[in-house]
Amino acid sequence: MNVVAKFEIPYYQCLDESSILHGNLPDSVKDTKQLVKLYRLMVLLRIFDTKAIALQRTGKLGTYPSTRGQEAVFVGMGAALANDDVFVPYYRDVGTLIQRGVKLSDILLYWGGDERGNCYHKDSEDFPYSVPVGSQPLHGAGIATALKIRGEKRAVLVTCGDGASSQGDFYEALNVAGAWKLPIVFVVSNNQWAISVPRSAQSASQTIAQKAVAAGIEGEQVDGNDVIAVCDRVTLALKKAREKNEPVLLEILSYRQSDHTTADDASRYEPQGIREKEWLKEPIGRMRKYLEAAKLWDEEKEKALQAECSVDVEGVVKEYLNTPPQSPESMFDSLYAKLPDIYLEQREQLIQKEIVAHG
Amino acid sequence: MKIFNLPDLGEGLADAEIREWHVKVGDVVIVDQPLVCMETAKAVVEVPSPQAGKIKKLHGNPGDIVNTGAPLVEYEGDNETLTTSKDAGSVVGNLEESTQRLDEGDMIIGAAKKTASTIKAMPAVRALAKQLNVDLNSIVPSGPQGQITLEDVKKQADERASEDQVDTLHGVRRAMAVVMMQSHQEVVPVTIFEDADLSDLPSGSDITACFLAAIVAAIKIEPNLNAWFDGKTMERRLFKEINVGLAVDTAEGLFVPVLKDVGKKSAAELRTAIDTFKKTVKARTVAPSDLHGATITLSNFGMIAGKYATPIIVPPMVAILGCGKIREVVMVRNGKMEIRKIAPLSLTFDHRAVTGGEATRFLAALINHLQGER
Amino acid sequence: MADITLVEAITQALAYEMRKDKDVVILGEDVGKDGGVFRATLGLLNEFGPERVRDTPLAESMIAGLAIGMAAQGLKPVAEFQFMGFIYPAYDQIVNHAARIRNRTRGRLSCPVVFRTPYGAGIHAPEHHSESTEAIFAHIPGLRVVVPSSPARAYGLLLASIRDPDPVIFLEPSRLYRWAKQEVPDDGKALPLDVCFTLRVGTDVTLVTWGAMVKETLAAADTLAKQGISAEVIDVATIKPLDIETILASVEKTGRCVIIHEAARSCGVGADISAQIAERGLMFLQAPVQRVTGYDTIVPYARLEKLYIPNEKQILAAVTNVMEFA
Repeated sequence: MNVVAKFEIPYYQCLDESSILHGNLPDSVKDTKQLVKLYRLMVLLRIFDTKAIALQRTGKLGTYPSTRGQEAVFVGMGAALANDDVFVPYYRDVGTLIQRGVKLSDILLYWGGDERGNCYHKDSEDFPYSVPVGSQPLHGAGIATALKIRGEKRAVLVTCGDGASSQGDFYEALNVAGAWKLPIVFVVSNNQWAISVPRSAQSASQTIAQKAVAAGIEGEQVDGNDVIAVCDRVTLALKKAREKNEPVLLEILSYRQSDHTTADDASRYEPQGIREKEWLKEPIGRMRKYLEAAKLWDEEKEKALQAECSVDVEGVVKEYLNTPPQSPESMFDSLYAKLPDIYLEQREQLIQKEIVAHG
Repeated sequence: MKIFNLPDLGEGLADAEIREWHVKVGDVVIVDQPLVCMETAKAVVEVPSPQAGKIKKLHGNPGDIVNTGAPLVEYEGDNETLTTSKDAGSVVGNLEESTQRLDEGDMIIGAAKKTASTIKAMPAVRALAKQLNVDLNSIVPSGPQGQITLEDVKKQADERASEDQVDTLHGVRRAMAVVMMQSHQEVVPVTIFEDADLSDLPSGSDITACFLAAIVAAIKIEPNLNAWFDGKTMERRLFKEINVGLAVDTAEGLFVPVLKDVGKKSAAELRTAIDTFKKTVKARTVAPSDLHGATITLSNFGMIAGKYATPIIVPPMVAILGCGKIREVVMVRNGKMEIRKIAPLSLTFDHRAVTGGEATRFLAALINHLQGER
Repeated sequence: MADITLVEAITQALAYEMRKDKDVVILGEDVGKDGGVFRATLGLLNEFGPERVRDTPLAESMIAGLAIGMAAQGLKPVAEFQFMGFIYPAYDQIVNHAARIRNRTRGRLSCPVVFRTPYGAGIHAPEHHSESTEAIFAHIPGLRVVVPSSPARAYGLLLASIRDPDPVIFLEPSRLYRWAKQEVPDDGKALPLDVCFTLRVGTDVTLVTWGAMVKETLAAADTLAKQGISAEVIDVATIKPLDIETILASVEKTGRCVIIHEAARSCGVGADISAQIAERGLMFLQAPVQRVTGYDTIVPYARLEKLYIPNEKQILAAVTNVMEFA
């Protein structure tokens, strides 16, 4: 009997749970200004997130999925992406999207039930959120295929959750990425829960990263509470994909410090005490402690940042609340490149109905 | 959920102050209905109801501080132990909850029982029936599935039509229609009604002959009624000769034979002429020349029925005298009530050519003659 | 006995049948510990244990394929798809296998599965959570498609669907889940499949509908009654196979028909009903059959959602059309 294949799955961490840096700062994150920027973004994200939940609770926003405790995952990814890379999110990726030119008010528009929240900026090639989770890795593979056909030195980053990694489409995407050597990085944001299903029930696989092995691509785990590691590993993975057409699967580990969405109630299924225990590892406190120790941050700066972010978020909320809804006939106006004539009558009926409704 | 705890109002603050309640105990609220206005350190916030329900209790008064997560509002519910569960029973969205009890009444599995038999007819057949004014209920269907066919509808329409009489006017009736329309368009008629007291006429008098003589006498007084008028040329022709058209009713229609030169004829001669006309008109042998040339017309419509009328002038004549049914009436004469025999008269004149004064004087003269007041 | 909601009636039916028949197994995402995202399977894990109430990994095609395999082995799986918007990966399994395994084995193997899912719009949910695509299943030979519209019918029809030896797509109108309560005795009595239900008897116009639109249709019938128009309301309930006889009997009586469905207009189930009325009931009609439907658009996000769903005013306008046609 010969062993024909073995695999190893590395785990990466730079800043540990006690905020101690192991080794030097990685090349991709050497600039201290960038470190502070990462920290500031995480704080902004958390303040925005808290506000979004409150908006939902007071009836001003629809169902909203929190990113609490997962800020490093998305902020780190966003910092790693090059401008002309293409990003394919699942639905918790606010921290990444705001570094891609998407306005926070657009995020609120989306969850507030307005399609214009998906418009992003005019030249964006990024995909909008994917609610049928697990379907988007294939889209990423398709985008990567196009980039490769055109010989462009650009990469694709696609995210999904631990739950979505059980979907058939997920395996299909990994497989074709390997078979076709696509310039794509898959990130599984493993926050340990798929609504009420814990990671242990999702798969018998010891890591999700090792699903890469079955596709013949590289797989690794990263501490998702360590924004430095996240930024570094994603940067390197994108470089590999971009320059060598070598796809990578990163499983970034964090903990969901919230209900699945504002309509969920995790106390029904989440064992007592886990959340508090995991909170000790949370990313913002960890980074703050490191920055303060490195004399790059202090209480005064913190106060100022909190105030600044609150003001920013207030402005975002105001912009969102002051955005009037689309006209009713907008339902028809993006259905086709040009709306076929036979639907003009329905479009007109809809306009009339709206008049009737107000009259 | 039965107890609604104060949610985090967005500032991460520990509490908020009740400013104003929008509901009271006993109110039935719907999802999203504003419950209360809360004031935080930073803002004034409206709190909407997370569910539909009936308000059971309000946990606080305006001015009270409520902690985040503490009870704010209680809803009525079933006999369940009150919990502070925040289970919204969903993972997305907002399910409308109501306290409504579904009352559907009786539900029938399948179809409701059939009551009456129904008319079977294709839409085209129904449309034709509507167009032809045919009642589908009255048709016996001949179609293979028991449906009414196009032919069934057409047949019914034809049968109905033959019961009515539909024809186009010809001959005498057509002529009457034409003449009447023309009169209506041209003539400006005025009718004066008056009664003539015939009580003193000798018994056995030929009433028609009397009338003819009276007309002659009246024309002597007012010759302007024995005339023709042409509205286009504005020409009026006064006649010396008095030719009286006599309206005769027949099965075919109205004929007006003309008694020529009545002024020169005796009563007997006139009677003979009248009787001859009656025969020839009935036999349709009356000569066309006898139907023309009237200068004034007499219509004894009262021979059949009727009191007064507004008889139609046939241009170019300018007057027609109608006589209704001669009758006995109670009259006042010289202060006393008497039973007299009167003839109700209607004189229509064309006011284009005849004045009211002329007409009334004519009528007065006519009546005087009839009443023997010469 | 307390009145219960439609979703509670689902739970009640599942519990009853699981007690009665050991072969009934529930599988789906979050159906166990969480009791289902709408609590449709609340308490069942506690009572029947994890072998019979199975939280699955997140994969819809897997759920359908598993159910088919389990059913071929004689189990009676009740598979949940969290929302109809997520059923599409399973469409291949359902169409290519569930619907035809009996046929292609001449009855040696069969597929007694209930595929149940919340369906329809009106709960202010994010995108993909508001689908009404029953037509794509109604088109498939070998399937049944059943849509309850009240707690009592949810209970009786779900029992019937579980007991039926063939695959049933059971679509639960999420908008009605907690809308109203009704007395539903837990007596295990099933309602018949393949049959429409006449909810109101009337003489002037036939209103044919199903799912959440039953709510607006009954409200319209009440309004019409006040106007002196007697409307007969038929809840189709089993979309496939369609009980056209009940509908035809009603149309024969009234001569006027309005079909109401939330799903988009083109090739919606209303088109098939209308065609069948034209084939066999044309000579009873005094006006063309009208359809009141959703627009031929993607269901809009929450802000415009209310404008998409047909409302009572539209139903009344369609009735006016048929009443004043001739």
